[in-house]
Amino acid sequence: MAKKSYDLLFKLLLIGDSGVGKTCILFRFSDDAFTTTFISTIGIDFKIKTVELQGKKIKLQIWDTAGQERFHTITTSYYRGAMGIMLVYDITNEKSFENIVKWLRNINEHANEDVEKMILGNKCDMDDKRVVSKSRGEGIAREHNISFLETSAKANINIEKAFTDLTLSILNKTPGREPTDVPEKINIDRKSDRLSNRCC
Amino acid sequence: MTDDNTIDVKNNFNHLITEEKNKHTVYCTKCPSKILSSTMGKHLRIEFNLPHMSQKKNCESVECELLADYWMVPDMYMFDNIGFSKTVESGIKYLICADCEIGPIGWYDDNTKQSYVALSRVKHVEDS
Ligand SMILES: Nc1nc2c(ncn2[C@@H]2O[C@H](COP(=O)(O)OP(=O)(O)O)[C@@H](O)[C@H]2O)c(=O)[nH]1
Ligand SMILES: [Mg+2]
Repeated sequence: MAKKSYDLLFKLLLIGDSGVGKTCILFRFSDDAFTTTFISTIGIDFKIKTVELQGKKIKLQIWDTAGQERFHTITTSYYRGAMGIMLVYDITNEKSFENIVKWLRNINEHANEDVEKMILGNKCDMDDKRVVSKSRGEGIAREHNISFLETSAKANINIEKAFTDLTLSILNKTPGREPTDVPEKINIDRKSDRLSNRCC
Repeated sequence: MTDDNTIDVKNNFNHLITEEKNKHTVYCTKCPSKILSSTMGKHLRIEFNLPHMSQKKNCESVECELLADYWMVPDMYMFDNIGFSKTVESGIKYLICADCEIGPIGWYDDNTKQSYVALSRVKHVEDS
């Protein structure tokens, strides 16, 4: 009945240890002591964003783990239908980097076999506290044949690009699509003041 | 998009409605985020107590506003950009702006999968 207003729908997930910055990558607010909005006390489940890429109108449904990662209770139901996963670690936290391998195993167990993955080394604005070098991040990504970016949710570095790249790699293996080699700039409706340095 | 095109919403919403649908594009009131394209929502009069967008600090009870005019969106993927809160009660989630996260601008009922955007909590801008 409802007229279809888009070409494709991709479900994306954020995975990684607690504290690496997943919520900040997707959501603006966090446990900032000054938030007074009613919503911040409830928390956000997921978002729908519309992007235009290669002439296609794509709906992204993006999920945050809502903290289940703390109890390692991320299971099949969370992964169901996921087409893309951002695997996040914190460049200032060795353990979160080591756990990437564990998360990859978890993904292999529970997620769809052909899910597109991407590894993000977040908090790259904190170079003075860095304990995981960029080349180690690149190394593990290469080993598993996954693309890699260092990001900062706080300084808004590579966040947009991470979503574009992941969406493009899903798009590029979606059947019925013409192969393209020049990725267009993603036109995500996120033009509000993401560039202001308000982190979470 | 200029502010001059913004249509003021008072109590009579007739000028926003065409054949029961939203005549104009729906935007967030606080940021430039586009929420819903024109004609994607159906005007529905239904009373629902929607919590205020900002609540008093250190106040136990949630203050609500009884609103009756909503755009009913039958499929969540008809939205351009929208956020969903966690479930608060019996399948109800609140709707928020996907970019600046203000809200609730409406609610979603998981039982019917329908979303309801409060006309008085969004901005209506004529398509150019
Ligand atoms: N410096 C810096 N801090 C960040 C960044 N991303 C998140 N944080 C902080 O890291 C903490 C955990 O972030 P959060 O998004 O809640 O992590 P989650 O548990 O993975 O969802 C918070 O205090 C954030 O403010 C970043 O890119 N840079
Ligand atoms: Mg989180």
